[in-house]
Amino acid sequence: MADKSAKYRTEIQQMMFVSGETADIPPETTGTVEEIVRQQVIEMLSQCTSQAARRGVRSISTEDLIFLIRHDKAKVSRLRTFLSWKDVRKNVKDSDDKGGADADFVAGDDPIGAGVVGGPGPGGDAGKKNKKAKVGLPWEVPSLYSEQVPEREDEEDEEEEEMNYATLQRLKNADERTKNMTKEEYVHWSDCRQASFTFRKGKRFKEWAGFGIVTDSKPNDDIVDILGFLTFEIVQTLTEEALRVKDAEDQFKRESGGENQSRKRKRESGLFDPPEEVRAPVQPRHIQEAFRRLQHRENKGKAMRMYGRSLHRTPLKMI
Amino acid sequence: MSSANNNPPWQPPAHLRHLDDGFNFFSQSTSGAPSSRARTPNTLPEITIGGAESGNIILDGEPAVEEDPRAAEFDELFRKSEAKIASLFSRHDDAPMVEEGEASNEADIGLEHGRAAEGSTRDAAPPPKKAARAINEDDYDDYDEDEEEEAPAPLSRVSTAKDSSTVTTTATASPTKPGLPATGTTSPAIKLPSSREQEKSSDEVRKKLEEDKKAAEAAAKASFNTLIYTLENDRDAMLDQQKLDESERQVDAEMSGPGGSANNANNTSAGGSQPGSLSSANLGASSLTLKHLIARIDAKRDQVRASDAELRSLMSEVRKNRSKWASEDKVGQEELYEAAEKVLSELKAMTEHSTAFLSRVNKREAPDYYNVIKHPMDLGTMTKKLKGLQYKSKKEFVDDLNLIWSNCLKYNANPEHFLRKHALYMRKETEKLVPLIPDIVIRDRAEVEAEERRLQNAEADLEGGEESDDEPIMSSRGRKAPGMKSKKGTTVSRTAPTSVPEGTPGAEAKPPPGLPHSNSGTNLKNEFLRADSDAPMEGSQTEFSTPPPGSITPAGANGASNSGAQSDAMDIDGIGPLNGLESGLGGARDDTEYDSLEFKTWKQVTKKDRARVAAERHRLFQGDHLNPDEPALLRTKAGMRRWLRKRREAVNLGAAGDVKVGIEDKEVEPEPQGSATLAEGMEGEEEPALPDYYDVLAGIPELPERLRWLEDSEGQIIDPSEEYMRVVPKGQFTSPHSTFAEKMEANMRQMQETRKVCAKIGIVKQMQLQSQMYQNQFQKYDPDPFVEQDIPPHVVSDDGPVMAPWVCRAALQRSVGKLFYHAGFEEFQPSALDAVTDIAGDFFARLVHTLGVYREVPKVPEKATVGPAEQSRPGWKNRFSTEEIILHAMHEHGINIEALESYVKDDVDRLSSKLANMHERMKAHLAELLRPALGDAGPDGSSAFNDGSEQFVGGDFAEEIDEDFFGFRELGLDREFGLASLSVPLHLLQNRMHNAYTAQNTSVTSTAASAFPPPAPFDHVTVENIKEEIGLVQEFFLSKLRANDDQPLVEDEDLPQKQRFPKPRLPPTGKISSPRKRPLQQTGAGNLKKKKKLEINNVSFSKDDDSASGVNGTSKTGSTTTPTKSGGAGASAGSTSKPKLNLPGPPLLERMDSSKGSDADKDDATTGSGVGMMSPESITA
Repeated sequence: MADKSAKYRTEIQQMMFVSGETADIPPETTGTVEEIVRQQVIEMLSQCTSQAARRGVRSISTEDLIFLIRHDKAKVSRLRTFLSWKDVRKNVKDSDDKGGADADFVAGDDPIGAGVVGGPGPGGDAGKKNKKAKVGLPWEVPSLYSEQVPEREDEEDEEEEEMNYATLQRLKNADERTKNMTKEEYVHWSDCRQASFTFRKGKRFKEWAGFGIVTDSKPNDDIVDILGFLTFEIVQTLTEEALRVKDAEDQFKRESGGENQSRKRKRESGLFDPPEEVRAPVQPRHIQEAFRRLQHRENKGKAMRMYGRSLHRTPLKMI
Repeated sequence: MSSANNNPPWQPPAHLRHLDDGFNFFSQSTSGAPSSRARTPNTLPEITIGGAESGNIILDGEPAVEEDPRAAEFDELFRKSEAKIASLFSRHDDAPMVEEGEASNEADIGLEHGRAAEGSTRDAAPPPKKAARAINEDDYDDYDEDEEEEAPAPLSRVSTAKDSSTVTTTATASPTKPGLPATGTTSPAIKLPSSREQEKSSDEVRKKLEEDKKAAEAAAKASFNTLIYTLENDRDAMLDQQKLDESERQVDAEMSGPGGSANNANNTSAGGSQPGSLSSANLGASSLTLKHLIARIDAKRDQVRASDAELRSLMSEVRKNRSKWASEDKVGQEELYEAAEKVLSELKAMTEHSTAFLSRVNKREAPDYYNVIKHPMDLGTMTKKLKGLQYKSKKEFVDDLNLIWSNCLKYNANPEHFLRKHALYMRKETEKLVPLIPDIVIRDRAEVEAEERRLQNAEADLEGGEESDDEPIMSSRGRKAPGMKSKKGTTVSRTAPTSVPEGTPGAEAKPPPGLPHSNSGTNLKNEFLRADSDAPMEGSQTEFSTPPPGSITPAGANGASNSGAQSDAMDIDGIGPLNGLESGLGGARDDTEYDSLEFKTWKQVTKKDRARVAAERHRLFQGDHLNPDEPALLRTKAGMRRWLRKRREAVNLGAAGDVKVGIEDKEVEPEPQGSATLAEGMEGEEEPALPDYYDVLAGIPELPERLRWLEDSEGQIIDPSEEYMRVVPKGQFTSPHSTFAEKMEANMRQMQETRKVCAKIGIVKQMQLQSQMYQNQFQKYDPDPFVEQDIPPHVVSDDGPVMAPWVCRAALQRSVGKLFYHAGFEEFQPSALDAVTDIAGDFFARLVHTLGVYREVPKVPEKATVGPAEQSRPGWKNRFSTEEIILHAMHEHGINIEALESYVKDDVDRLSSKLANMHERMKAHLAELLRPALGDAGPDGSSAFNDGSEQFVGGDFAEEIDEDFFGFRELGLDREFGLASLSVPLHLLQNRMHNAYTAQNTSVTSTAASAFPPPAPFDHVTVENIKEEIGLVQEFFLSKLRANDDQPLVEDEDLPQKQRFPKPRLPPTGKISSPRKRPLQQTGAGNLKKKKKLEINNVSFSKDDDSASGVNGTSKTGSTTTPTKSGGAGASAGSTSKPKLNLPGPPLLERMDSSKGSDADKDDATTGSGVGMMSPESITA
């Protein structure tokens, strides 16, 4: 663990910080998180590979990856936005003649940031709209037909609304977290938002995730980016869940074990009490519990397991 | 414990054995179970009288015959006994009549027995016969009397009566001499009377036994109808039986090993599954063959020339069977052993109790047994001894039997011991059976013969020859033999006949009238014995009874015999109660064994049959599996007939209780009955003592009402099918109507529509890329709407759902297919469809299973509601309501309402909006592609040209350059036809596209043209019809024809696309100055036609249409649009623009009379031979 965990420790710390964990995170925790993330990535890659093999293709494509998370509409939608913006950026790079404003905007729109920030502002959107091509997914309606038709401008997908809602939620959360921050803190926080497993360290990521072992081909740039996005999501989800676990634990402790203490403290607590920033950091056990919770099976596939005797092995669940 | 009762019968006369046995017995009893024992002493004395006698009587009778020859003795004895006899017989004068019936029966039986015993007469034994034979002859006597018509009978009777009386006297005398049994020489005269009585009583005892058994059997049979017996005990019965068989086989094996005597030859058969059945089986076969013959001979006795002796010898020749016990040298052996064997087998057959006694006591099981018991004995050993011919007299045999039981009682002194019960039971049975054994002492033949001779001499004086003749015949046939015979059955009769003919007729004639009765009695018993094992045969035989011997005998003469019979009856009376007591006791004991009396009797009576049936069934199985090698159980005609008969009986008994059954019977039965009865007789069915339901195979199922063959009064067949057939309601195999289904179907329709548009777009795009294309290059996408086919009308005969898995599967497959399509798959692989169908089927099966589980949860008590109306009766209600059941089942399967809802919302509703959206987009796109041609392109369409997109293919530049290129505006056409722009429609510019369109839209035009059927195509220009043309062109065409080898000229339009003449191009100037000149040879035909047409035009307006179309008849139908159509905006746009292109010269005229003009122009345009055709390339260039 030592070596590997070291690889992304800062990133994970940053991500967790962004996700709400404020305290200093022990390396054990980040190590655990990193292992989990790595496991998830490898699982995703192998699933993608088998999926691609089923199609008769050796190299995995972005569709394979998105297919894995197809049920998480918000995520898919954000991914698509991200991809389309990425496309735009590429186009912009290709054709330098475009206005500087555009270029600036795109440059600022870091691939992962796109997700975290909640996409470009509406103002910027309008200017780009005609350039931004939607990323089509093979299981969506337009692909039912043999002819691809240019989209009409005025159509707003319901899914986008959904995504927007999810984005707003996320933004709201971020806002909550940053509400009380000082300027410096906020700068730090927004720096942390840039943390990524992949951004500018594609090679390291590939090694880390075992590309070439898990999957044959050289991964597409898009795939690495998507994975970067997804890993961020994983860390965030995990951290949030772990924080919930820890809160519950604290709550329990307060109610049962440390009753006396807390009462005293409560009594003592006053206007000039020092803020309770001595918060204990998230421990690996919290992470593990969070992971366990996230692995909880849904009921969905249950039907086919009924009335059978065999032991069912369930695959790792994507977070 | 009936032991007391039973003892007497077999106990020999007091002077002979009594002491030992009696002593033994008592000693045993005292040591044995006290309670039951207690009674024995009381009963014993009484019974012994009757019982012991019976044993004696038989013996006595025989010796008597033998002793006849000894005249002196005879006389003495006779005198002594006469008085007693007279007194006895006189009392019973009236008896004969009563007994006649019986006697006749017996005679009959005897007959059959005799036949069964056929072989017996074979051996030409020396004349003087032993007692046994004499007895047989007695029997025959009776028989003969029956056979010979009334006249002779009486005589013989008389004589026989006399003889018998005399004989008996002598005979009875013999026993008195102690110590003589083996030689059995003289019979003590003194004993006569008592022996008589004894005889009678023994008969009675047998009868009694028989009756008891019969009664039991009848009771059991009666209970068949009231009780249902299960098969559970059959296995035990079978196992017991098998054990028995096994033990017998063992004995046989042991015996046959060392001994190998002739007697044993037959033994193997005795080991058969049913010990008693062997003889009867033999009997059945042989007696059947001879029965009729004998009857016939009897009927025509006076016409038969042959003497009785001859007949007898003939008979003996014919008969093959001979008892295995028969022996030339030993007199009485056959009879004794037959009887003994029967008793033995009978005892062994009581498997319930006899099992423990079948074989020697194992030392390992009971180490100290041989310390306690000094003289071990068991049934197996007895069998061995029997087969080894080790018994010399009845006594020895009986002693051995008793030894077994006493041993058991002795060893198992504990009154509670279970074996005691068995032993006591067995002893009781033994006592019952022993009287059936004739009290014979086996003697050497020589001795007996000597005796006989003496007797003969004495009798010769008294009796006529004829009697003697008669008797032998009887004996040869009848199996009825006297008491001894009853046991020995067949064998006795065999030996007898030979002896008779030899000239000792008198001796044989002697048997006392009483004997026949006794015989009959024993025979009955015999039968009964057999009836147990193989009842049917015997039963049927008894029915063919011949007239009773008694009837023939004159009253006077029979006096004695009758009296004898009477005395028997009296004796029986005495015994009867005892028997009753016994049975009562037995019953009581049985009860204590938890079995009801009925069940007990059932078990006993049917044991063998059950064992047989169970064995038959058992044979079919090997371990727990069917044994495929085993022959199947077949139903037999006889069995079915019996079944029917039984049912009929039952129905008759039950009166009209069940009307339905009654009717059926009437309907079904009558016909078969006639034939059946015949066959019944022929086949000689066996009637096992089992209820019908045991013979499952024979059961004939009831025909369901509606399958019956019914005829109405006129002999027409009534077809009841209408009453129960029903047509499967429609819609069972289609998806039910619901909003949801409708939505999905709407979605699918939407997809189809969109795909249509898609196809058009594809065509357009393809056309833009491709320079050359063919008529059939683009398949028109025109999918059929989805229609779910229901199954064709189907008729079923009951109410349930139609169970047709493959149809259901097909329906499910269709649904799955629809879902596939709905999910966007236009087509799919069958294997995918199959896989998903299987999974879906599996899923639904599980779901339904869960539903079932929830539905069948035990009910819970309903809360008693306090409402006044309800009487607070605790009701029961289902644990779950229907709704709960469904929700639970869904939850169990990981489905919840939200999931379903979101499916409907996302995958159906939203999809439909998306699809509609998509459709709109597609249409818009197509419209854009075809913008110029469609009026709705509007100002928006024109703006599309502004940004120099590639869509710019039309003639819209005209507006841009503000030039009315074609002069439309000048003509006011734009306003007149509502042209959106003055651009040239794309599909007109691109001729190929136009073709494609027309090809696609043929249906429209063809329907329109159907009002005016297209004229027949023009004849090709040929050498023949060229003459009719105007002179100017004739030359030209002729030259063409000549160039074409006088073949008909081909119209340009008929040429393949590629061979057509290249289209004319606009000159670079863009101006169409004048009709292009073309080389004559190319355009000749077209021009000529046009000219022609114009001419005709001038001549008559109306005709012009015809001719025009006539000339161009070969052109496409599409082009022959009728004039009426040209008024339409779209069409006019096309047509107007065309003339403009084609005939710039006189545009106005042409256009004004649009109808004709357009026609003509179109012709040109389409044929390509027109003046000028504008191609997009030329324009853009």
